[in-house]
Amino acid sequence: MIAHSIFFYFFSLITIVSAIMVTVSKNTVHSVFFLILGFISVSCLFIMIGAEFLGMVMLIVYVGAVAVLFLFVVMMLNVAQQGNEIFQNSRYTHLPVGLIIGLIIFFELIIVVSGWKYKPDIISSNSINFDSNLTNTHSIGMVLYTEYIHLFQLSGMILLVAMVGAIVLTFKKRSGIKRQSYIEQISREKISGVSLVNVDSYKGVKIDD
Amino acid sequence: MENINFVLPEIFISLSIMFLLIVGVFKKNSSSLIYSLSVITLIISLGLIINFPGKEEIYLFNDSYKIDELSILMKIITILSGIFVLVSSYNYTKLEKIFNIEYSILILCSILGMLVMISSYDLIVFYIGLELQSLSLYVLAAFNRNNIKSSEAGLKYFVLSALSSGLLLYGCSLIYGFSGSTNFSLIAENIFSSEYGNVFGLVFILAGLAFKISAVPFHMWAPDVYEGSPTSVTLFFAIVPKVAALTVFIRFLYVPFLSLIDQWQPIIIFLALASMIFGAVAAIGQKNLKRLIAYSSIGHMGYALAGLAVGTNSGIQNSIIYICIYLIMNLGIFCCLFMMKRNNKFYDNLDDLSGLSKNHPIISLSLLILLFSLAGIPPLAGFFAKFYIFISVIEQSMYFLAIVGLVSTVVSAFYYLRVIKIIYFDPPVEQYDQTKYLGLKISLALSTILMLLYFIYPSGLINLVSKINII
Repeated sequence: MIAHSIFFYFFSLITIVSAIMVTVSKNTVHSVFFLILGFISVSCLFIMIGAEFLGMVMLIVYVGAVAVLFLFVVMMLNVAQQGNEIFQNSRYTHLPVGLIIGLIIFFELIIVVSGWKYKPDIISSNSINFDSNLTNTHSIGMVLYTEYIHLFQLSGMILLVAMVGAIVLTFKKRSGIKRQSYIEQISREKISGVSLVNVDSYKGVKIDD
Repeated sequence: MENINFVLPEIFISLSIMFLLIVGVFKKNSSSLIYSLSVITLIISLGLIINFPGKEEIYLFNDSYKIDELSILMKIITILSGIFVLVSSYNYTKLEKIFNIEYSILILCSILGMLVMISSYDLIVFYIGLELQSLSLYVLAAFNRNNIKSSEAGLKYFVLSALSSGLLLYGCSLIYGFSGSTNFSLIAENIFSSEYGNVFGLVFILAGLAFKISAVPFHMWAPDVYEGSPTSVTLFFAIVPKVAALTVFIRFLYVPFLSLIDQWQPIIIFLALASMIFGAVAAIGQKNLKRLIAYSSIGHMGYALAGLAVGTNSGIQNSIIYICIYLIMNLGIFCCLFMMKRNNKFYDNLDDLSGLSKNHPIISLSLLILLFSLAGIPPLAGFFAKFYIFISVIEQSMYFLAIVGLVSTVVSAFYYLRVIKIIYFDPPVEQYDQTKYLGLKISLALSTILMLLYFIYPSGLINLVSKINII
């Protein structure tokens, strides 16, 4: 039990510190690395409470795909330099307004959290069918493809729209580019590809492409 | 399995989207074919909705999807306006070189998202529908990517809309945390205003929704996006998503948050007042017709929200009537914009309208009728729309809301009348091309005649919405 709480506080501390460092660090590449560290420690926390599927998905999706994508964007666009320039040149004109709104929302959140009451009777624990023999993956799959099938399919539609949208906005038909055509390559015959030429001596051949 | 019959329109549209994509990939130069096939898809799904089996309330997928009078009516309106948008803007999309196969497919996708939003009875379903709809709209706004203004519109809309979706999602998570469910009827049972978390979540959700219908103070994106996007997309933006967003407003306010009415009523009244005043005042100095329509749509959303603020069935019904009439008027105005074409170039500034009546008397006459209707001058339909709203506001003795609404109607009449003055009394500019495209002519004629002759048979629309009883 003590080891458990030691690990819990260790990972939570890493999460909080890296979350703060994401916003504080001046170099954007460092922020992305801190973001990745935060994701990793959150996934460790997930694994600690027994949600191993969520923890692994978090690793694969957020660390494996999203954060690396961020890193690519930051490095390719050289945001690291530009961002610093913007940050230094601005004379903090929006800072007071942002600070006031941020403080108001912060205090309101404190009121919300302090007004929170634990409701043990909102869902009785008897109504939840809990089978300890089932793995996480299995039980998520059981509801995902039955009760939430419409949401699952609609999420698929969203991904389709995202794909179509990305293609629409970036695909350009360029003219004057020689593209590879597999069908043409495969269906070439000997007659069209090879020609026998009688070469006169000391004259050479004229090749036209 | 019997559930599938009830979501047949949605399934049909999603299958057609995939089918049309495949046709577009494998058949060269099939833009025109896909455009007409999408219109046919919408017509068939309209038929499926009208022939809906059973008229009682139906809950599907663990009560997360609701089909009732409200959702059927709003789906019919959404699909009908989608059909008219596609039919009337056919020529425009062809000439503006945005006639890709994806254009009509993306419109289908966003209509699918709206249908899901309209029927949603659960926070997750609602959010998924909203994302499907707005993702397609981001791409549509930036569709003319060779035009810098269109790209700017797309980026602006994307950033601001993503922010508002974030707010909305945060509100949803607060509501879920404090009430213990994502289902609307379960939330309604477990929500109490004594807990600040609920009120907080409510405010966040309302802010996110107000952004989607561009109500003041969440309106900043509307003029730029309306001006920058291609006109056919602007037409789509101006009418179709508003229907879905208004339905979601009705659902949220009157199902899960009904017991918080004391909390949300001042918020909605403020949104309505601010939108009405801002829409009337800010449109005065505009030089571009699309921007002017953006500001006028902000004002009109204010009136629709005023109907929702009163908290009675008649208020809801009158809001729905208002939005119906509003979208028919806007359809007509945009049809006129599609007709202002000279040498394959479209014009959308106020100066380009100058002296239109000399060369194009019929277009000018329909613009006159539509603008008078937008201004709310009797006996045109726009007057009745505002009249119904004011009746239900005054019935609940909210006199301040009614007075501000009347004053801003008078102020907004100024800029509508100025457009009419430019059309009829200013020196004429060069003649525009004659429109040969039949779909455009029919859309314009239909919307003008409906606005002109609404007063003969107003009970048709009233009977249609009178079946909707939420409270």
